[in-house]
Amino acid sequence: MAFLNKTLAIVWKDVVAELRTREMLSSMLVFSLLVTVIFSFSFDLRVENIAQVAPGVLWVTFAFASTLELNRALALEMENDCLDGLILAPMDRSVIYFGKMLGNLIFISAIEALMLPIFSVVFDLNLLQPSLLLVVFLGTIGFAAVGTLLSAMAVNTRAREVMLPVLLFPIILPVVISAAKVTGGILDGVPLSELARWVQFLVAFDVIFLVVSYMTFDFVVQG
Amino acid sequence: MTKKLRIDDLLNWLSGLSIMAALYLVFVYAPTEATMGDVQRIFYFHVSSAWVGFFAFFVTLIGGIAYLRGRNRDWDTLALSSVEIGITFTSMAVITGSIWAKATWNAWWPWQQEPRLVLVSILLLLYLAYLMLRSFLEGEERKARFAAVYGIVAFVSVPFTFMSIRWWQGLHPVVFEREGMHLAPTMLATFLFCLVAFTILYFTLLLHRVRLGRLEDQLIGLKERLRQGAGG
Amino acid sequence: MYYLFAAYAVFWGLTFAYVFTIASRQKRLEKEIETLSRSLTKDQA
Repeated sequence: MAFLNKTLAIVWKDVVAELRTREMLSSMLVFSLLVTVIFSFSFDLRVENIAQVAPGVLWVTFAFASTLELNRALALEMENDCLDGLILAPMDRSVIYFGKMLGNLIFISAIEALMLPIFSVVFDLNLLQPSLLLVVFLGTIGFAAVGTLLSAMAVNTRAREVMLPVLLFPIILPVVISAAKVTGGILDGVPLSELARWVQFLVAFDVIFLVVSYMTFDFVVQG
Repeated sequence: MTKKLRIDDLLNWLSGLSIMAALYLVFVYAPTEATMGDVQRIFYFHVSSAWVGFFAFFVTLIGGIAYLRGRNRDWDTLALSSVEIGITFTSMAVITGSIWAKATWNAWWPWQQEPRLVLVSILLLLYLAYLMLRSFLEGEERKARFAAVYGIVAFVSVPFTFMSIRWWQGLHPVVFEREGMHLAPTMLATFLFCLVAFTILYFTLLLHRVRLGRLEDQLIGLKERLRQGAGG
Repeated sequence: MYYLFAAYAVFWGLTFAYVFTIASRQKRLEKEIETLSRSLTKDQA
């Protein structure tokens, strides 16, 4: 129970800090909108039915917005040495991992929740289906699980903003591929039972990377 | 020291001779493939280099785990050396694969037909990111620690990437299946010999590269001593 | 046939390029180590 309470304390701290400034959410939202607009214009020239490319656009936008959020979340901790304070706090380091991971998950999901209705309007598709929301959620867990670990590494490098996407994108590629595939399937009206193995695949990715990141996070924040 | 030098010489000669023998087998001993002709001879070295790439990155995973457990610098040297060699061989596999694709499908980049080629190029990107991470970090200890973590995460993601690419292209018709290619016993023998030759070459390169890494450590130690001497 | 030649040229090119970088780095390091250790022994003397 203590573990959960401490984790939630970290999440709560992040949420309160964000709600005071709303810096991250507003910049992510504007960024996502811009990506969508740029995509729809650049595809409009060549693609006849823009709904066909919607799953790809959706997931690329989410992946970009996630990197923005992950960079910002850890950069905030580095300013004023907040991360050192967290590490010195009397608790297991894995609490920091799960706390930051949940915080990232909440912020990315919040942006996705705002973007999905906008996407539905722009692409004239019904994206607010329960099965699709499940896929978005599973994909976001994947982003947050790996992203939290890698952003903790990236903030310690020179050129940290560049480093995170370079490290993150090749690893979350399977999430983007499978999530875009399922999204496309759902939009095409493919029965969910046929897409089940993709969903299982996403779940497996999430579980394995949560475990691996949890086990290795300790080595990243020490020293 | 003398014993070490002997291992060194032995590996040098062995890898040189086995590569020569492999070339002989590929170009003279192995029969010409019926449908693809001589171009099929790319297969032997192409697949062997991809194999060495995989194996090298696996060694990096082991090196990373061992480093995090014992904090012995030599394990990190091993991991880094293996990544460099792995990148050399995966680039080889990607370029030769692309050349082969051009010869068989008349396209340099067969996204649909050949998921494994896409996988190998993603491997290449993953481990280029590994090298980038190291070069953007300060401090040898931190470099080793972060690189070990990234080496683990990267290798864990490989089966997922492979599965997703496999399934992703599953909806497209497979125009030409390479496995369907009939491998005559002599071809199989040639192929297996190439695998062995490449593995020997890998260990030879690894030995030299690890020695180089040791020298680097030695240099860093010397610089440290010099600095202390100047300061004290 | 041309493609076959190109593919094997890639193999030799990359292998030799890598061996060459190892060799040159090694030479440079050995030189540096020698000068450094010489200056170290000079300091101690």
